[in-house]
Amino acid sequence: MNLDDLTRTSGEWLRGSGPESDIVMCSRIRLARNLADFPFSNRASRGEKAEIENHFKNAVDHADLELNYIELNGMSVLDRQFLRERQLISNELANGEGPRGVAIGPQEHISIMVNEEDHLRIQVMLSGLSLGDVWDQINRLDDKLEEHLAYAYSPQLGYLTACPTNVGTGIRVGVMLHLPALVQTKQIDKVFRALQKINLAVRGLYGEGTQAFGDFYQISNQQTLGKSEPELIRILTDVVPQVIQYERTARTALMNERRQHLHDQVSRAYGVLKTAHTISSEETMHLLSSVRMGINLGLIDDLEIATVNELFIQTQPAYLQKLQGSELGVEERNVARASYLRSRLSNGRHVEPE
Amino acid sequence: MAKCQRCQDNASVHLTEMVDGRRRELHLCLPCARQAGVALPESAPSLALDAVVQDLIVSHVGELVGELARLTCPDCGLKFMEFRSNGRLGCPNDYRVFARGLLPLVQRAHGATRHVGKVARRRPDATDRLRLRTHLREAIAREDYELAARLRDQLRLKDADA
Repeated sequence: MNLDDLTRTSGEWLRGSGPESDIVMCSRIRLARNLADFPFSNRASRGEKAEIENHFKNAVDHADLELNYIELNGMSVLDRQFLRERQLISNELANGEGPRGVAIGPQEHISIMVNEEDHLRIQVMLSGLSLGDVWDQINRLDDKLEEHLAYAYSPQLGYLTACPTNVGTGIRVGVMLHLPALVQTKQIDKVFRALQKINLAVRGLYGEGTQAFGDFYQISNQQTLGKSEPELIRILTDVVPQVIQYERTARTALMNERRQHLHDQVSRAYGVLKTAHTISSEETMHLLSSVRMGINLGLIDDLEIATVNELFIQTQPAYLQKLQGSELGVEERNVARASYLRSRLSNGRHVEPE
Repeated sequence: MAKCQRCQDNASVHLTEMVDGRRRELHLCLPCARQAGVALPESAPSLALDAVVQDLIVSHVGELVGELARLTCPDCGLKFMEFRSNGRLGCPNDYRVFARGLLPLVQRAHGATRHVGKVARRRPDATDRLRLRTHLREAIAREDYELAARLRDQLRLKDADA
């Protein structure tokens, strides 16, 4: 698989469809799995990591899974960053060393990282609030892989992981939410505190330790042991609708009380994105967030939500450089970003990639 | 000059601590302070820093930790103390070897110590292969290539069975 092919498509999870997709960007689940007969990645030799990689590739072949395996060892920094921006790999895998890689499924629903903190980090991601479907898919995928792999498992502690915080189900159930109105009305911290009280974690778009940008927040479980996968999923499916409701209430309040101000803010954001000649990544995220909310509130009617969703990813540094086919400095990237935004927004309608 | 509160020698260790909001002062001479465990022993048992740290933990946190601190996994060679400092285990077998130290941590993190949910298939011979791989690593480290080759053959056979 050629990475350049990926620049011409985008992940299904950006489609902007599925339940509650005006606020829920996507639902994702990841399972941490390890092979029983190898040391965990951090203590495995290069040779052992290569063997783990081979076992995994064999399992994919035998299970007849439609996955493309991309080796990260020896890959350029730019390409690794590109995969990171698309949410296909983590920082840890991007910056790791030795034999490691990622298997990617069609439409980028599935990504399986090999030799990350755990031997396997299986991820399934769908647009909208659709954790049930995500669980069905990932559970089947996990079963198929397990037919050909011996997982590290104990009857008492469940799936054994390199870090005890993931032991048991090894599951992380996450929902990525767009919460601009809660941010603007300064209620977001209150919501976070309530979530933390019930043991849910809140992170930015790019996971652990990253700042929320574009007003995107990821809510996920922290407990992985002592509750079954469906129970852990239910915690999220119970809580997320409440957060969605808070966001909707905040949006309605903004519309009722400060409609002109809000309309002005959204239109200016759209105007800058359509006409700027140099623009930073930070400003782009900030403005795209306003535009995204504007579309959902009917304040912009000539732009599709999928286009905006894609632009959150496609205005990131590595994507722009892949598109240009060369490495660019910060200033050059800001010019390239503005030019790309103008071309994508000049004709607001979403254009399906060929 | 303050006198040692235990032996009336000249005090050289002065400790002020707050207990229940009240200030408490302690003045001791060096030998008494060592005996009380508030000063370092005359010579550190080893200059290696991790040994010093381990020794401190053993003497201050008590017996179980001391025992745990010395535990090493026979399969991956990880010491419990290494896990405590970097948070990552070395192999699946660590959960058994370090059970006494890990279970309290697991309980604190998850509020539970028993798995509920998906059950994996049983793979009884996987542990044998983990052990064989350990022997293989050790043989390579000793440059015992003859043994390494034999172990590799055994592993290949087992992998084929699995």
